[in-house]
Amino acid sequence: MSALMAIKPDFDTTSPPPAAAEGTPLFELRGISKTFPGVKALDDVSFALWPGEVHMLLGENGAGKSSLMKVLCGAYQADAGEYFHKGEKVEIGSPADARKLGIAVIFQEFSLVPYLDVAQNIFLGREFPSRIPGLVDRRRLYREAQAVLDLIGLDIDPRTKVHTLGVAQQQMVEIGKALSQNARILVMDEPTAALSDRETERLFAVMRQLQEKGVAIVYISHRMAEVFALGDRITVLRDGKLVGRARPGQTTPDELVRMMVGRTVDMSYPRNFAQKPGEIALEVRGLSSKNGIRDIDLTVRAGEIVGLCGLVGSGRSEVARAIFGADEVTAGEISIFGKPRRGGPDAATMAGVGLIPESRKTEGLALIRTVADNLAVAGLPKLFPNKLFSPAQARRSAEELIKRLRIVTPSPNQSVALLSGGNQQKVVIGKWLAAGTRLFIFDEPTRGIDVGAKSEIFALIDQLVADGAAVLMISSEQAEIVHVCDRAYVMRGKRIVGELSRSELSEENIVRMGMHHD
Amino acid sequence: MTDQAVSSASPRLPAVPGVAVALAGLSLFFALASPGFLTAGNLSNVLVQSVILLLLALPMTLIIMTEGLDLSMGAVLTLASLVLALIVVATQSLALGLIGALAVGLAFGLVNGWLIAGLSIPPFVATLGTLGAAQGLALVVSDGQSVVGIPRFVRLVYSGETFGIPTPILIGAGFYALFHILLYHTRFGTYVCALGGNRDALTLAGVAWKRLLVAVYMLGGAMAGVAALLMTARINAGHPTAAIGLEFDAIAAVALGGTSFDKGNGWLFGTLLGVLTVGVLRNGLNLMAVPSSVQVACIGALVIAALLVDSLRSTRS
Amino acid sequence: MSIASDATTRPVGLHLSRETQQLAYRLLAVALLCLALSVATEAFFTANNILNVLRQASLLFFLASGLTLVILTGGLDLSVGANIGVSACFAATVIKATGSPVLGTLTGLATGLVIGICNGLMVAKLRIPSFIATYGMLWVLHGITYYYMAGETIHGFPPGFRQIGSGYFLGVPIPVYLMLGFLLAGTIFAQRTIWGQQIYAIGANPVAARLTGIPVDRRLILVYAFSGAMAGVASIVFLARLNSAEGDIGEAMTLPAIAAALIGGASLFGGVGSVFGTFIGALILTLVLNGMNLLAVNANWQPLVTGLIVILAVWFDMVGRRRT
Repeated sequence: MSALMAIKPDFDTTSPPPAAAEGTPLFELRGISKTFPGVKALDDVSFALWPGEVHMLLGENGAGKSSLMKVLCGAYQADAGEYFHKGEKVEIGSPADARKLGIAVIFQEFSLVPYLDVAQNIFLGREFPSRIPGLVDRRRLYREAQAVLDLIGLDIDPRTKVHTLGVAQQQMVEIGKALSQNARILVMDEPTAALSDRETERLFAVMRQLQEKGVAIVYISHRMAEVFALGDRITVLRDGKLVGRARPGQTTPDELVRMMVGRTVDMSYPRNFAQKPGEIALEVRGLSSKNGIRDIDLTVRAGEIVGLCGLVGSGRSEVARAIFGADEVTAGEISIFGKPRRGGPDAATMAGVGLIPESRKTEGLALIRTVADNLAVAGLPKLFPNKLFSPAQARRSAEELIKRLRIVTPSPNQSVALLSGGNQQKVVIGKWLAAGTRLFIFDEPTRGIDVGAKSEIFALIDQLVADGAAVLMISSEQAEIVHVCDRAYVMRGKRIVGELSRSELSEENIVRMGMHHD
Repeated sequence: MTDQAVSSASPRLPAVPGVAVALAGLSLFFALASPGFLTAGNLSNVLVQSVILLLLALPMTLIIMTEGLDLSMGAVLTLASLVLALIVVATQSLALGLIGALAVGLAFGLVNGWLIAGLSIPPFVATLGTLGAAQGLALVVSDGQSVVGIPRFVRLVYSGETFGIPTPILIGAGFYALFHILLYHTRFGTYVCALGGNRDALTLAGVAWKRLLVAVYMLGGAMAGVAALLMTARINAGHPTAAIGLEFDAIAAVALGGTSFDKGNGWLFGTLLGVLTVGVLRNGLNLMAVPSSVQVACIGALVIAALLVDSLRSTRS
Repeated sequence: MSIASDATTRPVGLHLSRETQQLAYRLLAVALLCLALSVATEAFFTANNILNVLRQASLLFFLASGLTLVILTGGLDLSVGANIGVSACFAATVIKATGSPVLGTLTGLATGLVIGICNGLMVAKLRIPSFIATYGMLWVLHGITYYYMAGETIHGFPPGFRQIGSGYFLGVPIPVYLMLGFLLAGTIFAQRTIWGQQIYAIGANPVAARLTGIPVDRRLILVYAFSGAMAGVASIVFLARLNSAEGDIGEAMTLPAIAAALIGGASLFGGVGSVFGTFIGALILTLVLNGMNLLAVNANWQPLVTGLIVILAVWFDMVGRRRT
């Protein structure tokens, strides 16, 4: 284990608010906890906001930032904890409650209606009645919308239909929508991810104006430059817990990175790295795809676990989908065990590739079908070469896999929807075993799986490579990559920006390469 | 044209909407091919004959904008027309007859809306079921026979003139204006667009969208009731298969007009052009003595072409 | 085994899957309907009427069995009724022109198949929603038949051909044998071939099916082609039974065929249903309509009842889904 894992939280997590913030906070969360089956998303998080501050929220993927946002805007109900608005205890039971308190959240997924215009979107549900009963005062609608657009410096006609706008402009319209609701607390989730430099500057200028008016801003970002340029205070989350508070002048990017990744990894399964990699299983050269990835080069050999890491949105899943044939390739070459790969997922499957997708329930399993059905579905052509299906043989094959993978299910005829997350994941792996897959692509193999099952999954993956398979593994949890991978590629902005050998593989190196550090 | 949605939809497609090209092309073709086409009398005829279709196509535009569909409209119109004919013949009161027709339309609209919004049954199945129900009821109330003896004052609704203009044209123009205001100048219209475009946005904005969806289908039913009056006046009878399949012409006109089956992308003026295109096509083919069977196939082909354009448009963007 | 302590374990014993239970309910419904009708009318429980019911059910079943596979993938084929019209008219023309029932039958089947393939291409390759694509197809087919037939009727076919629709073998109508044959073939295809399994998988989760390496497009085309071909089969039997072809002979069959599949437990959301279930569904619907007939209910009520049955069946499916 690397030395990192031994780091104790040596940061002061109970310090009083910074000197600049005086008096009662505008809004305060105390002891917020939220548990999902198998995962503690938020664990006793306390957090205060003062008027006019920009509060940076940092954390790795899965650290609890988005859960915190959803609790704040009323989309989730916390299991425990209290809210205080200007010192008075309040309840947030629904999005409407949050709106009344002046909380507006700008999610990365947009809440815009594509074929309505900008003004109609900004004031959706709050249209101005005209003097003629029943009609909308369109003149006022466009006037007020223009005022909002002026405020955020967005130079477009409020009569423009939203679907004709680019992502950046849509983002700005979202911000305008939030502002028009007189938000006192604005929560933004990586708002600059899709913006150009000029638009980013404009956004920052708007934020400064809002600050002057006393609006508190919670700003989630992965970009260190922004964290230090904008933030008044910084809060770091890790594994659902608040692990540190800091002020930009009193900390360094390195220190923040260490706070974010310094987790203890509970994986009892030790991997044997002694294996010698075999033949080349996957070779990708100059791959670009319609899904946005550009110029990807990578190699995976039999007997190897190769990590593919980077932030969410850096293009990892897109690489997996392009290799598997699920997204159209526009340039470059992919060869599988020395043969060029063409066609869709069906051809990839025949060539021995298997994808264990990120979203088990929507992309990996047919939830209304049984465990046996799901285990057989990928291997049908292999199990039944004469095309005749035999339920008895499918059941035998399923029972064998259930035993081999130690899937906990009362019977092969159990509906797969009733299994736990870890067992469902084993079923997805099992269906590829039945298909005779030799190159496994895992996209977030341990997402939503509890700790005990995680090490079982890793034991399985290790067994696969020990048996001569090749594995490409995508994970947002750097600790996992460090723990199990022989090598890793790091992605940023839809490209591969570096490769780390076993000896270079550390969470800090991954985070440094994967984040904008400029 | 402030509400021109289609030309801005895709920069790759020509700025002139396809339906306008189709309408102009067909008109030109028939003007050249048939001397009787380009006369004032015939053009007025085209307009009059298009009104019933327009009355169905207007609400159908809104329904399709919500990513829905109403296959029951033709059958509901037929049933409403029979009910109207029976009431008028029995009571000699147009008002009572119209109320009966509207009640039939609203009731079916309510059922459609409830099945779709309340029970989340896919629109095409729910309305296919009510289509069967309405068609069956039409046979039951009429016992498979035509209802005849429609008084003259009813016939005048279709064949009469008001201020020197054929009455149906005025009715059509009035309802077009009404739907234009409804779609582009009221909250209801905005929400109709959002129902297809992004229901989550409506939920976040605190709008109870299920009730709205029911209202949209009830509007469709009510318009079928209004159209039933014109249909009864036109054929001078209530007939148990009078308007069976007319919903297809309506869907065709809407699809031709550039309203798409997803994301709430609708264009009311396009629907008007689509209705006129179907009207011109039928009228022109009639003048050329082409059997009505071929007309159906021509409309079908036009619609498939329109759907293809729609599908290409959505895959490109 | 430690599994016994797992919370999801159900008590051991006679454990029937949900589908088996529902099939049992439907068989019960058939039995009850038969019993009720036997009590209510004397005419029901006669060999003649029973055979009549089976023959009527067979026509419905041909159409509904093809449709069932489409519904299994989560789609719908609204063009099957119109398909019958075109296929029957083309087949009739060929029989009249060549005097060969074999060529005529092949024409009918091929016409149905081609129409089905067109539907499949629209759905799989152009990604037009199935109900829109097949609805457009419905009207194109209507147009073709109306134009082609121009209101005429073709009638009078060789006796050998008419046997397909109205003949008997060992006292049982030929269409009933055909129905049992297609029931067996359809069940084997759906339950005992890997294609059938893949079709279930596509309906259960199309995204996962694609990411599991199932050639989804090809299977969809197959399914629509099959539905079209079954409409072709229905058209031949229909033609042989009626001894005449008109443009609108299948027009009123689409809704009952959908109803039969839905009564039989097929879910419009895909992945659930079976050819055998549809067979039972066709029996139930035919029994209901036959019963109405025997009880002297005006035939005009039939579309209404069928429409209500469709809505009820979908609603039950929705309720069942929400509960699980």
